[in-house]
Parts: sequence; structure tokens; C-alpha cells
Amino acid sequence: MKKFNLILGFAILLSACERIVELEIPSSDPTIVVEGQITSQLEPWEVRLTMSQPYFDQGTLAFVASADVSIVGTDGTDVNLIHTDSGYYKTEFSQQCLPGETYTLSVKYDGEEYLATEQAPLAFPIDTIASYYLPENNGFIEEGYYVFIQGRERVEKGDFYLFKAYRNDTLKDDFGSNLDNDEFGSVSFLNEDFDINNITSELSKGKTPRPFPFTVEPGDTVRVEQYAISEKYFNYIFDIEAQQGRSGTPFDPPPANPNNNISNGGLGYFSVVHKEEAQIVVDE
Amino acid sequence: MFKTFKITFPLLLSLLVCESTLFAQEYTISGRVKDAANGETLLGATVLVESGGGAITNEYGFYSLSLEKGKYTITYKYLGFDDVVKTVDLDQNKTINIELMAKANVIGPAIVSAKSLEKKVENKKISVVKMETAKIKEIPVIFGEVDILKTITLLPGIQSAGEGNSGFNVRGGSQDQNLILLDEATVYNASHLLGFFSVFNGDAVKDLEVYKGGIPAKYGGRLSSIVDIKMRDGNAKRFSAIGGIGTISSRLTLEGPLVKDKSSFMIAGRRSYADVFLPLSSDRSVRESKLYFYDLNMKANYELSDKDRLYVSGYFGRDVLGLSQLFKINWGNATATLRWNHLVNEKMFVNTSLVYSDFNYGFDIKFAENASFGLDQAINDIYIKSDWTNYLNPNSKLNFGGQVTYHRFNPGLFSANNEDSRAIFQDIQLEKKKALENGIYIDHEYTHSKRLNMRYGLRVSSFSNIGGSEFVYTKDPQTNEPISALTVKDSFSNGDFYNTYIGLEPRASISYNLATTLALKGSYNRTFQYIQQASNTASAFPTDQWFSVNKNIKPQKADQVALGIFKNFDIGLETSMEIYYKWMDQQIDYRDNAQIAFNENLDGELLLGKGWAYGAEFYVAKTEGKSSGFISYTWAKTMRQIEGISGGDPYVANFDRRHNLSLVFTQKFSKRLLATASFVYSSGQPFTTPISKYYYGGKWNAEYDQVRNNYRIPAYHRADIGVTLKSKEKPDKRFKSNWNFSIYNLYNRDNPYAIYFRTVETEDLEKNPDAIVGNTAAFQTTLFRMIPAITWNFEF
Repeated sequence: MKKFNLILGFAILLSACERIVELEIPSSDPTIVVEGQITSQLEPWEVRLTMSQPYFDQGTLAFVASADVSIVGTDGTDVNLIHTDSGYYKTEFSQQCLPGETYTLSVKYDGEEYLATEQAPLAFPIDTIASYYLPENNGFIEEGYYVFIQGRERVEKGDFYLFKAYRNDTLKDDFGSNLDNDEFGSVSFLNEDFDINNITSELSKGKTPRPFPFTVEPGDTVRVEQYAISEKYFNYIFDIEAQQGRSGTPFDPPPANPNNNISNGGLGYFSVVHKEEAQIVVDE
Repeated sequence: MFKTFKITFPLLLSLLVCESTLFAQEYTISGRVKDAANGETLLGATVLVESGGGAITNEYGFYSLSLEKGKYTITYKYLGFDDVVKTVDLDQNKTINIELMAKANVIGPAIVSAKSLEKKVENKKISVVKMETAKIKEIPVIFGEVDILKTITLLPGIQSAGEGNSGFNVRGGSQDQNLILLDEATVYNASHLLGFFSVFNGDAVKDLEVYKGGIPAKYGGRLSSIVDIKMRDGNAKRFSAIGGIGTISSRLTLEGPLVKDKSSFMIAGRRSYADVFLPLSSDRSVRESKLYFYDLNMKANYELSDKDRLYVSGYFGRDVLGLSQLFKINWGNATATLRWNHLVNEKMFVNTSLVYSDFNYGFDIKFAENASFGLDQAINDIYIKSDWTNYLNPNSKLNFGGQVTYHRFNPGLFSANNEDSRAIFQDIQLEKKKALENGIYIDHEYTHSKRLNMRYGLRVSSFSNIGGSEFVYTKDPQTNEPISALTVKDSFSNGDFYNTYIGLEPRASISYNLATTLALKGSYNRTFQYIQQASNTASAFPTDQWFSVNKNIKPQKADQVALGIFKNFDIGLETSMEIYYKWMDQQIDYRDNAQIAFNENLDGELLLGKGWAYGAEFYVAKTEGKSSGFISYTWAKTMRQIEGISGGDPYVANFDRRHNLSLVFTQKFSKRLLATASFVYSSGQPFTTPISKYYYGGKWNAEYDQVRNNYRIPAYHRADIGVTLKSKEKPDKRFKSNWNFSIYNLYNRDNPYAIYFRTVETEDLEKNPDAIVGNTAAFQTTLFRMIPAITWNFEF
């Protein structure tokens, strides 16, 4: 839908022109902003706390260094996060979240408490990562080498995924986040129906997998991170990117703040995700 | 409901038919008034009896006048035509068909008789505006494309939804609250090229009337206005053609008699060639794109007998916008109307119409040879209506009738476009919906005395959802959360009328003449609306789907009162002032981050609340003479209050424009040369600004104010000028032509189309060299700067 909007907007822009204007707009008091994610992989947990500022204030980002931050889980987890630098708070030891368990972040700052709760989703590991060569531009992607993965979905509906793909350690997100869900059938990035053992014959039959949307060269290392996420977080990413993608055309979404999970009017999001990884070195 | 309908309707009919026989010793003069040049019927022509009383022709040019036996002098009048005076010895029922001659193209001070001024004040209906196509054609418009919907937004109380948008808002109503009728057929989407132009070809249109209030009981189905557009019948005297070549499109209309003076046809076509310029673009995907529209209007009428006349009319229009083979969107309306005029007797006129109206859009997207998909949505109506008028006596006229409409909605079909795609993809059809909408009405127009006129009536409308599909209906009013996959669904068997709403819609207007050229008028109307459009943006797009009321969504309701004072001055000025107040119930807005496109559970994204609007409208016009024109000013306020938006507090609707001013001035320099200048001003559109920014996900994000529409973009204003140069008139030659030159946005005003907020990127430095990449800024987009245009028109 998003792509469709951009294309139509383009037609409008044929005769539109755009410039920066000065406006006097209202400002609110600074609000706490939480950016945090805990995963199923064993690693130190990290949360960042910053403050919002007036829209046209081009000063440096103000961070919060004096908050009390902790995470408790229904699996018995109860850890404090200690401020390290620039608003980052970390656990002392590596931690991991367990599928189906619920975790609550608590931030106490300036006499207020901000809470965020999420349940850890369940997902399968990535089965295979592979590359293939697309001999000619098929309209939406140009010819070249592409990387795709194959994995399994849960039988039940309600799977929400975010995929991050890195080419030689650089995150490729030129087209926004790779979000996918099973609302209309299956999670297409998981390529469940593609026979990965016979790529050539599948391609000759006209069947193409859904790759990550960037070309690679033989010899490149591509790493893919698969995040099973909550529906709320899925919508949060979708909405925040829709808001970021404004172009001044009638196709822009109405201004709105994405629904988040921070209580007490806090901004940002605290997500609990299931993370899997796979890596490939592309060959000819 | 249906039982009642069945019983009451014939009963009412028999009563009404009988009533006319109660007046004894009375005879009726009836007939049609036509234009002598081409046989077009004249609507709203005045038939004036010297000794008092009179009639006005209806939309088919028909009039009926019942008088006691005697001798009468009757004058037939129509604006811009010479009067015809007839002396009638009335000793039996008489049919008098009249042809009026258009006034010669006279230059000089207009002779305004006191009598005609008087008549004008009397005939002006409160909250109704009318514009002749000839006048519309003189007013300069963008790219020189005659656009009746754009031009009516110059009139008081009708606001343009903005540049590049053919939508309009009437007295605080949203765009989907306007019922646009073309020869009685609903036109669901009146825009071409995403709203740059409207779908009506000026050459095919005869007359246009907009009801902003005081809506007669005959009309129903929309809350805020009725735009009643009538197509021309075609020349019944001789074959002729009109056409033109313009900057954006070319058009040709052919018309002529089928049987001379008895029946005629008209066919009008138009095709744009904006896409001709696309290959000039430097961008490859633009070069390979398609962007065009075409439309076709057709009409024919046939006189079956003195008492019966058949009309067939149709409209077909289509827009295609495609991007380099990969992506294509097309949309269009198709309407067909079959009408049968029948004279039951000299006093009873009936028109029965069978109407078909369809609007659909589709888009196709091709990801690869084996991945080509389409999405189709549609709304489709079939209806039958019958409108009866009983001309009881010169002071009393009774209108009654009814309408039954069968609606079908296709909210979306997602399908594979070719064999290979079908192998991997199964079609997804969102549940189709069906409904029946009915209306019956009775309406009495009554002249109490020379001073006092009134019209009052009642419309009873109903709407029933028809089963046959799965329907999501549990929406918890407590939590008011969006409908999720877990929501309980219910299904209803085919043909089951599972949900019905009934609305009583009283309508009334009254006019009191304080003096011969001074009148006070008032009106009240209640309206219900059962189908509406899901639009999340300020503009109305073809992709905005229509949906109906159901168990979750109640019908919209509005009550409006208006008061007006009308005064004409003998220097040829017509003035009026009206004030109105409107209360609206069940107004729709969307929750934040609503997903309204291709959403099966659309109901869950809607929030309902109330709205109110009030304002004052001022109008001064000089219609005749060498210099003519009008000034229209509207002060208006439009508010909404909806739980879940703006913290439940009242907020300004995004189509609220506090001040609206338009000036139109036409000067005739000679028989051949005419110039029109216009100026429009309107307050800026309200919108929501950020109140802070926050850093998340490696980017700056805007935190928007919870107060909806907390700010306004700068005001919109613009001046246009147009000059028409006519060819020399030669009495022996039928061929006439004219050149029209126009300049849109004469002083090149940088009008804001939208203002939005984002981070400055490297590409922005080109246009904003002082900007700093990574800073947050407000950006303004502008659609049209100064645009000159040239059009050549001809007729023979």
C-alpha cells in the first residue's frame, strides 16, 4: 500500500514544488523517550532514555542519566539497568527472554514512573539462507544477485516479523523496514513454498523467491536477522515509518502519534522480540 | 415499513388524483416552453398572468396553469430571451407550447424593468444557487478547462476543497455529503485526473442547481447539499456541432433532430491529452507513463404522443493513470437514465425514471511476469423513482413520489492477473454488501398571497442492509477498540433484511415579501445519509471507498435552519444575505493511524460524533449590462466533537475556512470582445502541527499535538483573468468560433498546497541552499503557479 501511495504521489509532484518555510508552532514540555529492546538471544539488555525537545530546536539531544531502570519478567527475571553513557542503561550480565513470558520495564524519573509490558513471541530458527541470480529487471527489482531465506511459520495465524539484512555489516533499509505478517496468507519473506534445493529449476519454472530488496555481488557477506515481534510493535514501526515518509502530497497519512506501550505519556517503545540470525557469503 | 409503503402509496395517489376534480368551472392551460433556436426546453421559465398569478416551468419545460373561465393575457419570460405575450380565451383546457427567441447580442445599458426585478426577488429560493452554463464558460479556470464544479465554489456557502481537487464543502458538510446528480443519476466520483478537473463536460450541460439548504422533500440521501445537473436535450431544429481544442483536452458535441421539432439527440465527447507531454520528462518512468481521461455524454428524447415523452441519457467516463507498464490505476463512472414523462391530465405531470449508476476503480500492479495482481472496488446502484406533480390551481402545487434504490458494494477483490500469478495466489474477495434504500415524499408549494409563499413537505427514508454475506458486527462500545481478527462475526442468509433504519425528514421553506423588491425567507430541513465515503485525507480520491450504515454505524443526520433577506435595487443589483446553523449527528472521523484501505474491518477504524456549523453568506450581483459580475463573501465555522479525537473536545474540521471571498467581474468591450477577471481568497486549511520532536530508531520523529487541527496553513488567494474574442458574425454563415485566453494565478502566488514536517535531506539543498542536513524543518508544497492557457471553440 505504501509503495502504491508513493507512486501516485509522484504523479502529483509532477507540477508541485517544495520549499522550507518558517512557522511559529506550539511546543510542549519535554517528555521522556524510551528506546529499548530485549531479545531471546543471550546478551546484555540495553535501554536508552532521552528527552523530547521543541520541533525547531536544533540543539543536541538531551539524555536522561539519573533514572531508576529495571525489568521484571514472569519467568522470575528481576534486573536493574545501570546508566553507562549518553542515556544508555545496561544490565550487568547477559540475559535472554523466553517465549510466552511477559516482561515489564520500569523507568522511574523525576518523581514519575513509566511502565511498558510485552510478551515474548515464539518463532522458529531460519532454515536456510541462499542467493540467486535474477537475469533481467523484472519491473520492481533490477537484474543481479539477491539473498533470500527460508523458514517455517507457526500454524496459527498472527505472526508478525521484522527482518534486518546487512550487506558487509551495513544495514540495508533504503525502502524502510522489511515488515511482514501472515494476514493475507503466509509470511512471504520466509518463502515456504519455494523449493530451495532446486533453485535453478524453480527459477526456470518462473517461480522466484521473495529476496531482500537490494542487489549483492559475489563475495559479499550478507547477514539476516529475523525478529518475531508483537502486533503492537509491528504497527508501531509501520506507523512511525509512515509518519516519517511524508512528502506533502494528498497521500500522506493524517498526522498522528503511533500507539506505543510506554505508560504515563512516555514516547518511544520497549519491545520484547524473538531473534534468529543467518549469514551467507554470496558465490557465483 | 414495506407494508406501509405498499398501502399508503396507492392510497395517497388516488387521493391526489381525485382532488383536482373538486375545482369546478376551471380550465387549464398547459404546455412546454422551448428555445426557438434549437428546441431545448427552458427550465424555470416564468408564465405570468396579467391579472395575477402564474407558473414556472419544471425541469422538462412543462407548465400548467388552472384558471377560471375567462380572457387572459399571458406573458412568457425567460432570462436572456424576449418575452412572448399571448391572449387566451379560456373556455376549455388548452395546450400552448411556446418558443422564445434569445435576445440579440445587444451592447449597452440593460433595460431593467421594475416588474422583472420584482419577479426575481420572488423566484429566488432560499439557499439555492443556480448558474447558467453560458456564465460558467466566461469565468477563467485552470488550463482553460470549463469546470462547472470548480466554478460553483465561487458562490456563497460553497467552498472549494482546495486546489487540484474537484471536491467541495457546503455549509460545513464533508465532501461525501453532496449528492451530485446528472440527469437524476448519482455520480459517485466527480473528479478527473485525481481531482484536477471535474467529470462534467460544459458543452453537454444545460443547467445546474445547488441546494445548500431548504432542500425539497423530493431529494434525499445526502446530508449537506444536492447538486442537480441536467444535460442538454440536443437541437431539435437542425443538426449542429460544437467543440473546442484546449490546452488539456479537446471536445466535440454533435446534436440534431431525430424527428424535427419532436425529438432530438446529443452526443458529447471529451478526451484529455496531458499524457502527450509526459514523453518530454527527463525521468524514464514518467516518460513511460499514462495519464488521460475521457468522457462521453449521450442523450436522446422521443415524443411518443402529446402526453408522453421518453428520454434516454447516459454518461461514461474513465481515467487511466499508469506508470511504466508496472502499475496502472483506472477509475470511472457510468450512468444511464431512462425517463418517461407522462401527462395524466392537464394538471398532473408524472416522470418515472429507471436509473443505473456505477462507479468502480481498479489498480493493477506487476511485480514480475508471474506476479501480477489487481485490486477492484465498486459501488453500483439501480433505482426506480417516480415524481408526480399536481398543479391544483395557480396558487397551489402538490409534489409527491418515491424512490427505491438497490445498492451493491464491492469493498475489494484482490486477484491475480494472469495464469502464472494464479498458480501462486488465490483471489481474496472482501465480503460484498447489498442494501435497499427507499424514500417517499409529499411536498406542497403554496402561494398564500402576493406576499406570502411557502413550501413544506415530508420525506420518509429507509435503509436496509441485506444479508448474503458474512458481516462483522460486534464492536464493543465500551472499549471502542478497532475490530480485530478475534471479533465475533455474524452472517445473515441471502435476502434477509437484517438491519433497517428509518428516517423522518421534514422540510419547509417560507418567503415573505416586505416590499416589491424586498423579501425575507427562511427554511428548515432535516436530512439523513446512509452511505458515505471512507476518506482519510482532505482530498476525495477515487480510491476512497463507499460504505453503508450497518449495525455498527448509524445513519448521519442533520438539521439546518437558514434565514435570508433578498433585496434588488433598480440599478440592476441583486443582493442577498443568509445565515444558517446546522447540527450534525453521527459524523465520521478516523482513529489515529487508521488503516482504511482494503480493510475488511473498516468499521473498527471509525469514530463517530457530532458536528455543527454556522455562518453568514453575502452576495451582490449585477447580471445584465456591459459590466457584470458578483461579489460573494462567506463567514463560516465548522466544528466536530468526537470521542477519541482531540481528547473528546470540540475541534475545527479540516475543511473549515473562516473567510471566503470571491469577486468575478465581466466587461463586454464590444460584440466580439469580452474579458472576465476573478479573485478568490480563503482562510488557510486547519492542520495539526508537531509540539515536539523525539529521537527514536536513529531518526527525529514529530510528536503531534493531541489537539486536532491546532494550526492553519497560510491563506489561499489568487486572481485569474480570461479574454474571449468571438469571430465576426455573418448573418448567412452558421459557423461561429471564439478564442479564449486565460491566465490562472495572475500574480504567481505561491499558495500552500500542504505543509508538513520532516528532516532536511541532502536533496533539499538544491532548492533550499541555506538549510542544514539533519535539521528538522517545515516544508510547503505548491501545486499551481501562474498558468496561461488558450482554447479555441467553435459551433455550426
